[in-house]
Amino acid sequence: MVRRRLALHLSVLMLGTAVVRVAVVPAEVCPPVTAAEVRRSIDAAAGWLERGVQPDGTYLYGYHRDTGVVQAGYNEVRHAGIVMVLYQAYAATGSAEALVAADAGLDRALGQLFDHGDWVAWAPPGEMTSGGNGLIVAGLVFRRQATGDHRYDDLMRGIGRFLIAMQFSDGSVSSDWRDGPTPDHSLYSTGETAWGLALMGQEFPGEGWGEAAVRTIDYMVTDRDRAEGRFSRLPDHWAAHALADLRPDLLTDARIDYARRLAGYFSIRLRFESQRLGTGINLWVRWYPGTPAGFGTAGEGMGALRHLAVDDQRLADLVGGMDDRVVCTAALMVDRQITPAEAASGPHPMLEEGAWFYRGYSQMDDQQHTITSLLEALPVLEAREAGR
Amino acid sequence: MSGTMLLVAFIAAINPFRSRGSLPETPTGNARVAPVVIGGTLVVGSVAALAWWSGPVLRALQITPETFKIAVGFVAVLAAGYAFVVAVPTAEPELPGWRAGIWPVWYPRLLGPEVIAMALTAGASNGVAASTGAAAVAVAGLVALVPVRGPVPRRLVVWLGRILSAALVVVGIWLTIDGIRDV
Repeated sequence: MVRRRLALHLSVLMLGTAVVRVAVVPAEVCPPVTAAEVRRSIDAAAGWLERGVQPDGTYLYGYHRDTGVVQAGYNEVRHAGIVMVLYQAYAATGSAEALVAADAGLDRALGQLFDHGDWVAWAPPGEMTSGGNGLIVAGLVFRRQATGDHRYDDLMRGIGRFLIAMQFSDGSVSSDWRDGPTPDHSLYSTGETAWGLALMGQEFPGEGWGEAAVRTIDYMVTDRDRAEGRFSRLPDHWAAHALADLRPDLLTDARIDYARRLAGYFSIRLRFESQRLGTGINLWVRWYPGTPAGFGTAGEGMGALRHLAVDDQRLADLVGGMDDRVVCTAALMVDRQITPAEAASGPHPMLEEGAWFYRGYSQMDDQQHTITSLLEALPVLEAREAGR
Repeated sequence: MSGTMLLVAFIAAINPFRSRGSLPETPTGNARVAPVVIGGTLVVGSVAALAWWSGPVLRALQITPETFKIAVGFVAVLAAGYAFVVAVPTAEPELPGWRAGIWPVWYPRLLGPEVIAMALTAGASNGVAASTGAAAVAVAGLVALVPVRGPVPRRLVVWLGRILSAALVVVGIWLTIDGIRDV
C-alpha cells in the first residue's frame, strides 16, 4: 500500500516537474561566443547596411528571403537610426565603409533641412519628427566623437533647439511638427529626443542640453506610461541610452530607480528569448525566436544600462547579471546571423549575408538594433577573455 | 528575498498547521513525537542539501536563478491553491514505528514540491544557512503543534493552515513578479 502511494506521489511530482520545465522554465540557451566572433558579426551586419546604400542616400529597407523580393516603402526615423548605428560601428571598428555609408545617409538628410530661424530640423518629405531628429543628432554626436570633425556643431545646436521646441512644459514630447508641435506622442520619439539631448549635453557642456534632457527623462520616470495610456511600463531602450549618457551629476535616485526597473524589463525579455528554440514543443510554448529588432532593442538597452551600472555604485549589484545577459544576447545573435554559406543558397546572397531574419524577412532596423547590442557586448567579452 | 520574506515563505510552504492535520497520532489524539522529529529533521536536512546544491542544479538545468524564481512562484501558487481547497491532507498509510517519520511525515507531507522549489531558489539567493534556518523555524512550529487534540483546536489549526496557504499564494505571486523584474 505504501509503495503504491509512493509511486503515485512520485509520478505526480515527476509529471508536474516536466510540465513546469517545458512550459514555464525551458532551458535558457546561451552558446559560447568570443569577442572575435562578435567583431566579425558586427562587420557582416554593417556590410549588409553598407551594400544597401542607394544612389539617393537611402538604405535598402527590407528583404524577403523566401521570395527574393525587396520590400518597398521607407521609414525616415529608421533612416536616422541606420545613420546613427553606422557611425557607432565606425567609432568602434574604424571601418571606412561604415563611415562612407553613414555619410551617404547623412548627406541625404542635410539636403532636407528646414530652417525655422530659431532652430533647424531634418524634414524629409511630409514629416518633421522629434524621433528622427533625435537620432540624427545622436549620429552627429558619434560622428563628431569618432572623427574629431566639428563642422556640424552649429547644425547640431540648431537641431537640439528643435528638440527643445518639441518638448511640452511637463517634459512630454510632440512626435511631429506641423506649423507647431502636434499634441501627438509616439512610442519611441520621447526617448529618442531625451537621448539626443543627453548626448548634446556630453558634447557641449554648460549649454543646458543635459537639463533639457532631464525634463523629458523625468516625464518618462513619473508620468509617461499613464499619461499616454499604457497599461504597463514601456521597456524603452532609448530611455536607457538617455540615462546612460546623462551627466553623472544629473542622476538622481529617482532616475537611477527607473534605470533599475528598465534593466529588469530588458532582462526578462532577454531571458525569455534565450528560451526560444523555435522547434518542437518549445515552438508552442515560446513561439519563434523573436524579431531581431525587438531582441536587439532589449540587448542594447541592457548594454546601455550596464555602462551606467559600472559607473554608478547605486546599480553596482546589477553588473554581473547585466554582463551575463549582454553576452548571452550576443551569443544568440551571432548564432542566428546568416552566414555566407547559408546566404549562398538564396536567390540574392548579398541581400542575406550578415542579416538577421524573422520568419523569412529582414528589415534594416533588425541590423541596426542588433549591431548596437553586439557593440555593447564587446567590452564585456574582451574583459572576460583578458581575465578581468 | 528579505529575511522576513524568506521566513514567511518557508513557514507558508511547510505549513505546520496544515501538516498537523495528517501526522501519525497516538490513541489519545496527540501527534507521535518521534516521527515528527525525524520527519522534521529530514526536511530541514533536505532543504539544506537542496540549498547547497542550488547553484549546480540550476546550472545543469540551464536556468538563471532569476528565471527559476518565476517557476517557484508558479509552483507555490498552484500548491497553495490545492492546500487551501484541501485543507486537511489525505491520510497516508504509515510505515511502522519511527519509520513513519520518513513516510508519510518527511515525504510526502513536509517535503512537497513547493518546499523543494523554495529551497532551490532560496539557496541561490539567500544562502544555505538562512534557508535552513527558515525551514527549521517552520519545523519547530510543527513540533509545537504535537499536543494539539480535540475538535475545536483542530478546527482552528485547519483554518490557520488555510491562512498560511493564502500567504503562500502571496509569496508565489511576489516571487513571480520579483523573478520578472530581476536582472
